[in-house]
Amino acid sequence: MDIQKVLVEIVGEENVRDAFAELYVYGSDASVHQTDKASVVVKPQKIEDIQEIMRYANENRIPVVPRGAGTGTSGQTVPIDGGIVMDLKDMNQILEISPEDIICRVEPGVVNDELNRELKPYGFFFPPTPASGRVCTIGGMIANNASGIRSVKYGATRDSVLGMKVVLANGDLVDLGSKTRVDSAGFQLARLFVGSEGMLGVVVEATLRLAPLPKYRCLAIAKFNRLEDAGKTITNVMSSGASSSMLELMDNIAIKSVNRAFDLGLPDVEAILLFEADGKITAAIDYEMEEIKKICESNNGFGIEMSYDPERRKEIYKGRKNLFASLSRYKEGIVCADLADDMAVPNSKMAATARAIHDIAERNNVIMTAYGHCGSGVVHTKILLNPSSKGQWEDARNAVSEIYEFVDSVGGITSGEHGIGISKAPAWKRARKDLIPVMRSIKKALDPNNILNPHKMMDAPDNWVNATDLRYRIKKK
Amino acid sequence: MNICIRCGYCFEGCPIFKEKHWESDGARGKVILSHGLLKGDLEPSNYLAEKIYECTFCKDCVEKCSAHVNVPDILTAARADLVEAGFKYEEHEELLDKIEETGNIFGKELKAPARSGEVPVLLGCRLKERREDAERYLEILEKLGIKPLVVEDETCCGMPQGVLGYKDRLKKQMNEFRKRFPYKDFICMCTTCIFFINKAYPDLNPTYIIEEIYKRLPAHNPKKLGISVTYHDPCNVSRGMNMVREPREILDWIGVELVEMEKHGKETFCCGGGGGLLVTNNELAGKLAKNRLQQALDTGVDTICTLCPTCEFNLFNVSKSNGGKMKVINLLDLIWEALR
Repeated sequence: MDIQKVLVEIVGEENVRDAFAELYVYGSDASVHQTDKASVVVKPQKIEDIQEIMRYANENRIPVVPRGAGTGTSGQTVPIDGGIVMDLKDMNQILEISPEDIICRVEPGVVNDELNRELKPYGFFFPPTPASGRVCTIGGMIANNASGIRSVKYGATRDSVLGMKVVLANGDLVDLGSKTRVDSAGFQLARLFVGSEGMLGVVVEATLRLAPLPKYRCLAIAKFNRLEDAGKTITNVMSSGASSSMLELMDNIAIKSVNRAFDLGLPDVEAILLFEADGKITAAIDYEMEEIKKICESNNGFGIEMSYDPERRKEIYKGRKNLFASLSRYKEGIVCADLADDMAVPNSKMAATARAIHDIAERNNVIMTAYGHCGSGVVHTKILLNPSSKGQWEDARNAVSEIYEFVDSVGGITSGEHGIGISKAPAWKRARKDLIPVMRSIKKALDPNNILNPHKMMDAPDNWVNATDLRYRIKKK
Repeated sequence: MNICIRCGYCFEGCPIFKEKHWESDGARGKVILSHGLLKGDLEPSNYLAEKIYECTFCKDCVEKCSAHVNVPDILTAARADLVEAGFKYEEHEELLDKIEETGNIFGKELKAPARSGEVPVLLGCRLKERREDAERYLEILEKLGIKPLVVEDETCCGMPQGVLGYKDRLKKQMNEFRKRFPYKDFICMCTTCIFFINKAYPDLNPTYIIEEIYKRLPAHNPKKLGISVTYHDPCNVSRGMNMVREPREILDWIGVELVEMEKHGKETFCCGGGGGLLVTNNELAGKLAKNRLQQALDTGVDTICTLCPTCEFNLFNVSKSNGGKMKVINLLDLIWEALR
């Protein structure tokens, strides 16, 4: 019996598609990769469906790629070995909100912002705030250990996941973690699945730790004529012990991009910093904001504006919020490719990293920007290039390689919040050779037939440029 | 299309994605399909055509996209490629035949209510068919001091040909339109026509009827109607022409309490009537209208007013076939009432 027929028996005809056009769409995400190798896309409606699908796939050695919103930037959900794409967006129920326990239980397809809309009346929120929050799913956030602008205060997804139910490769259902804030009962297996990119099991339910919604938020913008000064400010703010709930950098390329896309009129300086403090009383927030302001000024920051007003905060933040896609508008003929996009470096190396990014870009004939949740050490670079030029992809490959060599040299990591997938795998494997055998052992123990999202992360190809087709039309010469 | 970074933020408000919940039915999926078609990775097929044509061109995706990727323009080009490759819908062909035969989308012998005034006014097919309504709307202009000039045999502006991807037929229809309606500056009554004319005829300078009313109404002391309605922002008005404030101020001037739906202004939700979906997949267009009507019902009022005759048509029909709990009217009718 073919795969499609089996899946139709499990989930019904309306939840299975195998037209080539369909497989093409599901062969892509927000990365540079594109494939059409999948055999079928299936939308399970309940845990039992997933168990049955996994049992069948395991018996028949068919790859299964779990997928949330497909907003991954490194090819995590691109099915490079073909098989079944398991679209989990239909499992989108909020199962429980318990203000007494400050937790909620959700299915994996719940969208981050929708969850927060439901939590608001209870006075709580789910703290990870990825830029893709309006569409990304909790399952995807767990799979990639997503974080975002408020990670400087609230941490990453791993810090807000208490427990989860997971369907393993053989179809078994396991219940990991707990509903409590502390748990020393055995291996911390729930943590193991956070950031596992769908390679160890399918997360089918998650118990999430919530945080009280702050009563007040104050946001500020500071301008810098030198990128290094902005970088030094970040280091100093973090080491000062000041408590910010957001500390974001935008370099001149980022500023120009959003100005072009939205006519925002942001100052044409080398860098701006956005910083925010939140809490229950304004006096405490004012104290933190003043501390950060002083540090900005001591590093030649100027034009500092602070606001509690929600509308003004929205305006100040608009450029940063819309930055990712705006980068494609930086210059005619170039587009934003999601490469080397989320390294994290120690706080003390922020200024050096920001400068290194620009130097590496210049040496390699591409444009790179430096922005991100720098308070958490995350630097989003992105590579702006002419995607139809074959030579530019070689330039990009060299630039990516160099930037990760730099990151490694300063004690940073390949990915702070977007995951490894395909395109970051070569750099990550080079940097963490020691981990590869350990991770392969874990993978083998949980998925002996290697059916769950195979050939990603430690098993991904060594050259991301030809690991799959690139999604752009590239001229031969 | 390379500008699209495939972030997927366009899922959020895409009415087709919300209804069908497959990625290929959302805006990003359709861009990927169009890109595949252009690259030659995908062959034209009926399946592909179904996806490319199931879009209402509501522009929510454009609004959500920081790179300003214009999905309707991409899909228009993809539709043209499909037509060229022979993937045509019988229903589309029939519609375009009707236009060629009669000059309007209804395939009826219709005459616009001729006026020999000074300011040319274009009615558009839908209002040409609703002659009594058109007469009332012309009366609004007259009361506001404008002497309309209406051409009895004005013809379709070419929007259906353009949207459905029929390049040759579009060219022919545009020539015909210009021949029968040879004015550069004019008032346009139809939301869809003016949005299309602004794009397709860069040498023309139409003014949307609501702009004229907005300028002139306060000086004419309209009556206060003392009713409550919700207002459906047509995508071509709010997102297409950036007109969110004007209809609301007009409602205020004529004493109509506006109870907003959760999705309003540039965040409006599609009625299902655009992009040719009414012809391509009437059932799906109906489902979208039903969703929008439910949002209107959730406000607690019993009347939804709008400006676009196509939104009005689809919402009215679907409301009627679902028990008529929500009255659907045109804002122009309320204005006419206030000026009586």
